[in-house]
Amino acid sequence: MPIALKYYTMNRINTLLLWIALPLLLSITGCVKDVNPSDAITTANLTTTSDGLINAVNGAYALLKDHVEFAGSTDENNMYLRQYFQCADFASDDIVCGQTTTDPLFYSFSLGHTATQTNMRYFWYISYKIINDVNTVIEAVEKLSNPDAASRQLLGECYFLRALTHFSLVKFYAMPYTTAPSGAGIILRTSSTDPALKARSSVQEVYQSVIGDAEKGAALMNAPRGAMYASKEAAWALLSRAFLYEDNKDSTIYYSSQVINSGRFTLSTAASYPSLFANAAAAPETIFCVAFTTTEDYGKFGSIASMIYSNGNSGWGEEYASQSLRDTMSAHPEDVRWSYIVPNTVGGVVQKKNGIEMYYISKFSGQGGSPTLSSPILFRLAEMYLNRAEAEAKAGQTGPALSDVDMIRTNRGLAGSLYNGQTPSGQTALDVVLKERRIELAFEGHRSFDVYRNKLSMNRTYWGYHLPGLKESDIDLSVQPSGYANMIISPDNPKIIYYIPIDEIETNSLCTQNN
Amino acid sequence: MKFTRLTAFPAWEPSHKLLFIMRITALFLLFVSLHVSLWAFSQTSISLSVKKQPLAAVLTLIERKSDYRFLYQETSVFSRKEISLKVQNASLDYVLSLILEGTGLGYTINDNHLVVIGEKETAVALPADWIMGVVKNERGEPLSNVSVLIKGTARGTQTDERGRFRIQAAENDSLEFSYIGFETQSVKARSSLDIILRSASQQINDVVVVGYSDKKKSELTSAVTVVTAEKLKDVTTNDIGSMLQGKVAGLQVVNSSGAPGAAAEIRLRGISSVNASQSPLIVVDGIIGGNYDPNDVETVTVLKDAGATAMYGSQANAGVIIITTKKAAAGKTRFEAKITTGFRTPDFGKMKMMSGSQLYEHQKEYYRDYIPANTDNSYKIDLLQFIAERPRTLRSQNYNWLTDMFRHAPMTNFYFTASGRTDKNDYYLGLTYYNEKGSFLNTDYQRINLRANSTHHFSPLISLSNNINMSGTTGKSYDYNDVYYAYLNMPWDNPYDSAGKPVYVDGNSTFKWWSRDKVNPIHTIANSNHPYKNFDVNYDLDFNAGITSWLSFSSTNRLAAAYFKSSTYYSPLAAGQYNGTGYLSELSTLNYGYISNDLLKFNFQLGEHRISGLAGIAFEGSHTELTGASGKGLPVGLQVLNVVSNSQVVSGSNDAAMMQSYISQLNYSFRDRYFLTGSYRVDGSSAFPSAHRYASFPSISAAWLASKESFLADNRTISNLKLRLSYGVTGSQDIGSSRYLGLYSLSSQYNSLVAAVPSQLASPNLTWESKYQWNAGVDIGLFRRIDLTVDVYNNVTRNLLLQVSQPLSVGFEQRWENTGQIVNNGVELGLSTANIVTRDFTWKTDFNISFNTNKLRQFPATNINTQSTWSISQIYREKGNLYEFYMPKWLGVDRQTGAPLWEEITKDAQGGIVYRQATSNYDSATYQEVGSPLPKYQGGITNTFRYKGLTLSVNAYFLYGNKIFSNSLRFVENDGSEPYYNQAVLPKGYNIWTKPGDVATEPSPQNAANSTQTSSRYLKDGSFLSIRNVALFYELPPAFLKRLGVSGVTIGVAADNVYTFTKFFGQDPQATITPGVYVMPGVSDFKYPNNRQYLFNIDFRF
Repeated sequence: MPIALKYYTMNRINTLLLWIALPLLLSITGCVKDVNPSDAITTANLTTTSDGLINAVNGAYALLKDHVEFAGSTDENNMYLRQYFQCADFASDDIVCGQTTTDPLFYSFSLGHTATQTNMRYFWYISYKIINDVNTVIEAVEKLSNPDAASRQLLGECYFLRALTHFSLVKFYAMPYTTAPSGAGIILRTSSTDPALKARSSVQEVYQSVIGDAEKGAALMNAPRGAMYASKEAAWALLSRAFLYEDNKDSTIYYSSQVINSGRFTLSTAASYPSLFANAAAAPETIFCVAFTTTEDYGKFGSIASMIYSNGNSGWGEEYASQSLRDTMSAHPEDVRWSYIVPNTVGGVVQKKNGIEMYYISKFSGQGGSPTLSSPILFRLAEMYLNRAEAEAKAGQTGPALSDVDMIRTNRGLAGSLYNGQTPSGQTALDVVLKERRIELAFEGHRSFDVYRNKLSMNRTYWGYHLPGLKESDIDLSVQPSGYANMIISPDNPKIIYYIPIDEIETNSLCTQNN
Repeated sequence: MKFTRLTAFPAWEPSHKLLFIMRITALFLLFVSLHVSLWAFSQTSISLSVKKQPLAAVLTLIERKSDYRFLYQETSVFSRKEISLKVQNASLDYVLSLILEGTGLGYTINDNHLVVIGEKETAVALPADWIMGVVKNERGEPLSNVSVLIKGTARGTQTDERGRFRIQAAENDSLEFSYIGFETQSVKARSSLDIILRSASQQINDVVVVGYSDKKKSELTSAVTVVTAEKLKDVTTNDIGSMLQGKVAGLQVVNSSGAPGAAAEIRLRGISSVNASQSPLIVVDGIIGGNYDPNDVETVTVLKDAGATAMYGSQANAGVIIITTKKAAAGKTRFEAKITTGFRTPDFGKMKMMSGSQLYEHQKEYYRDYIPANTDNSYKIDLLQFIAERPRTLRSQNYNWLTDMFRHAPMTNFYFTASGRTDKNDYYLGLTYYNEKGSFLNTDYQRINLRANSTHHFSPLISLSNNINMSGTTGKSYDYNDVYYAYLNMPWDNPYDSAGKPVYVDGNSTFKWWSRDKVNPIHTIANSNHPYKNFDVNYDLDFNAGITSWLSFSSTNRLAAAYFKSSTYYSPLAAGQYNGTGYLSELSTLNYGYISNDLLKFNFQLGEHRISGLAGIAFEGSHTELTGASGKGLPVGLQVLNVVSNSQVVSGSNDAAMMQSYISQLNYSFRDRYFLTGSYRVDGSSAFPSAHRYASFPSISAAWLASKESFLADNRTISNLKLRLSYGVTGSQDIGSSRYLGLYSLSSQYNSLVAAVPSQLASPNLTWESKYQWNAGVDIGLFRRIDLTVDVYNNVTRNLLLQVSQPLSVGFEQRWENTGQIVNNGVELGLSTANIVTRDFTWKTDFNISFNTNKLRQFPATNINTQSTWSISQIYREKGNLYEFYMPKWLGVDRQTGAPLWEEITKDAQGGIVYRQATSNYDSATYQEVGSPLPKYQGGITNTFRYKGLTLSVNAYFLYGNKIFSNSLRFVENDGSEPYYNQAVLPKGYNIWTKPGDVATEPSPQNAANSTQTSSRYLKDGSFLSIRNVALFYELPPAFLKRLGVSGVTIGVAADNVYTFTKFFGQDPQATITPGVYVMPGVSDFKYPNNRQYLFNIDFRF
């Protein structure tokens, strides 16, 4: 018996034992448990509930407008649609750069692309996140033995989103179909169990997949949920566009007509057109738009509008409607499409930024009165008329082509300036269609693809900071700039597309880089 | 077999006059055993009913009914005097006063419920072999509770509160006096002894708090550095990390921000993890985690090798820093009050921004007649055009945004403490008020901290401690953009209107505003606010009980809760995106948790063998709850969520983590010179799936104290020599919860409906990251003047918890996996010398330096981490360095064209380099490895000079061989690409290309395409030597103070961040080394600058 222990009374030994026993007991009962996240659900649980599948489909749409954490930060500059519009239109002749910037959006103007530029790394990443998301849903729903109409609608939307996302990728990262159908396209991800390392499919293979998915989606979607969601007609609209890019005239005409004849949509009129973009979700012309609510009004640092419009405080307002575009429209000041080009004037004088005239662009503003909020339209009826018109013009059907163009002009305040079946002298029907298309769809992410897929050169011979080394003092608006690089970009210039992100190249040894 | 428990013996009360009934030695033994047996829960009241009982019998009765024992010389009065008494719940004093009435006897109640009864007012005649004496410190103050032991026996005593002791000892006995914090002293017994104990700062017999137990420094088998409060007091801050800068070998401390209340980043022995936490584990008073005030810190112990850290196995991968807070000092009640006050000024470093006239001259370069493609360039400045666009008046327009936005800012620290110790209770109270105004507009930090430590000793073996620490913080943070514009707005713009008010500027302002973005940050700051508040409580309950002479039980427990709230507010009056609407966002975080360590400890000696150790369990849990809300549409003047009228957004989430551990350790020593320690710990963490939850962390370490061997025992040169060797494993699990699950995040919405977004790839086999550590060290003491410690180590972190990059085309950036290794090898040297020691003057030097190399091994694939905002990349690859920058190499400027040049490398199919050439085409430049932000070596030196009461200390910190990407230069050295940003004055040796043939460092503004793109152009050598602190203290003479009734007064002045010697071009070479949101290790961006600080302080002790 140890010496000291005998001096403890029984009572005290009990107390001591309690001290020792209590933690042992707590330790056994309170042992380490699983900690499940409070705001996330496991993939396995998600795919076994119908709520989970709806949420996952909503997630695919949400990725188009969320600022998702990337490369260690949640950067307000990073939003799928912001990159989608900027990297398309800032590379075109519709928008001029009023100020150099360290933001990678500048490389779309200067063609100083790199594989590390974050906007196009993010765009690539989110595209595949959407694809991964919808693949999971597709695989879960296809396991159901007898899916109801709502489930089939969800499945169709997933096919649509996969088609749209693959299509956008191949537009940004691969040379146009019309230039090199067998050239390197993008990585096709049509199964969630694909090996991680995978090579790029050819452009043609990507188009086949896009068209296959869109057709499947169109067949499945019979329970439309509104313009903020995909629908049968949205899938047809996508098919119309994809076939146009493939230069497949019959199919373009077929699917454009399917949408036009569906009866679900009507063109905005000259009176309603100026408010179309601020009210995209409710407008009868909208086939598919991405819903932004007031909580997604990202303001100066995160909105799409911020770079191209400002009320003085709402945005940076550094990029403007180009002189080239304004010249194209200058013959018709009554054209209601001028309503989306807003000069920043003081006492009637258009202000300049660093020597460049400030013509703000308002197609991404005005929802709920906010200068930085809109629900961007990805498909609308006017494009279907113009797709059809272009296919018709290329197929030699001048009459129908001009009639489709007139249909647009009638509704844009140009009822007095219709073609009425006559091409103006010195112009082809295709010229007419492309000019109309440029004006109608300006700033909506079409222009640079329209130029290059038609094997045309981009002419940016106007003052702006896309000209390398330009200083404000060099600008003389009364003459055209000369002697600068980067003014005429031919369709075979490798910089008309972006580099595959360095992240993919370094981790996926099968993936090749663009030139 | 006889076991002897090695503890100091209890004090007894020699000052009272006593009579003894038996032989004194017998009494002594009885005394000891009684002392041991009597303990807690004393009965304070006595109920008694006796009739005509002898006094002796009554005392026996009281003994039976209470904890009291009586000691008296059995004289006749005890058997004769009869007592009749009836009391109910009476005090012992009352009862004794009644029963001893008229006997002429008095009594004393000893601290152990021993009541000694003897003759009143009569001195005790001590036998001749009793020795008396007093123990004092160097200042002549008595020391209580000093252990007095007869060497080679188990007999001993302690000093009383007046430092007095008495002990029975033979003439030839040697007495040993020992006390924590003082040098142990042995003295031959004499009848009267006055002992002065010297305080021991670097003494090898210091007790060092290591994992879950204390050890003498001489017994340590592992690499441990102790920093006492004495060595921390030169720097005044609210952060212990910055106090440690330059004082511990192997410890890298980075003060990357000068924002009020900012904490330093600490790394020990390099960086051993990629994605898990890399900050050392902080242990406060024996319990992992916890809050404390730097003023309350008694010692900081840095555990560096696995021999020591494996005891904290699970969380100790990055080393362990043990904070021991102050406890009651021995002796009388003490008070201390310390007031520090002064001011801070921003240190803008080597990046000087241009004045109005400098910028004017600089901008002329933008008007050179040069268009690269043309052949008729004159290369002359077109002055006419320049002056047309830049009127000459600009030269005198010189508004200094930096000095308008960064000002002198006062700081004050007030610290008060009271402490004391009685036989049964120790208490310590520390109260701190810290107030720091920020040098940047509208920033500050205030903190109140209260610490109360108390220990109740129920008996010498049983004690219970209650420690509580409460702190409240309020402060104001800042917005990065406001600092950004402080640097970049042009000196030609006046921030103030004619009335001296900040001018309102927005995109529609029609007056001339030169700066690129129409923003006046001073106006923004006047109309915005970023306040935060924090409240934090820790409560520790420690219970210690001796069970037998060699076995004890110890339970240490903590409950902790913290609440943090931060807000961002913009008034509707502020220009910018919230103009007209206003904006308010609030985020609250509640953390709470518990932790318990329950250990059985043993300690016994068997001849020359000593064995000690412990075994037990530990468990902890923590919870975090987040709540946030924001909205717009506020009326001017109000900043509360209730008045937000639109765009409301809410957020909220919670998280939890649990750990469970089984701990054991065995220490063996032989002859006090051979030491062996082994530990084994098993940890389970909720961070991993149940099948992979537990891992074990063993360690073994040994030391040989050679200087105790006979051949060195009397060596005059070598006063201390110890060799150490350790090997062990620690782990890391600190990556957050649920990293192993495949997840869809539900925190998004689409069209106001719940949206699930794929957020994480599953990794079902995820488990611990482990660090395998070797350490060999030697401690050498020479001439009792020089202490040298050298350690070498090899640390290999295996199964890294790594976010392995995935091809982005799978839809995920990375997946958590256990793969790859990091190897850190290094040498550390710590040298303390007493250069001059005389009675009045001493000069001491503490120097340390450490070298570390870092290599990655067995990496699954090359991981490239490309930061989001500026596309700065770092590469992780086989045999590479951690955080290695990966970017095109800058080759300067083309002499003929003035264009920037980068290196382009052509490789053959095998990856061999065929040739290198210069290119002006950025996208054909080759990405390559160009350096890492981790230093090759670093260290510190502190010189302390003392002349009488005057002490001067100078502390420097240095770092060598690290590369810092000076990202600010992208803006302030931009070759005119953004002409409306202010520029930095080019340092010596930099020049701009003006015409063909120029050898220049800066490209032509007319031909600088992509020159500001990420490249090694902005990658700079981050080496520096910083005079961290200079402090001068004067201790007022004790003689003078005695008259004032004060025991000590120290006054002092100190300067912090005095000067930094560096070639670094940029804001500050102290760039963050912690990967995080928006930040990449080694990237220096516009930041809240560090501050110089000038302080006066006064310290009263009474």
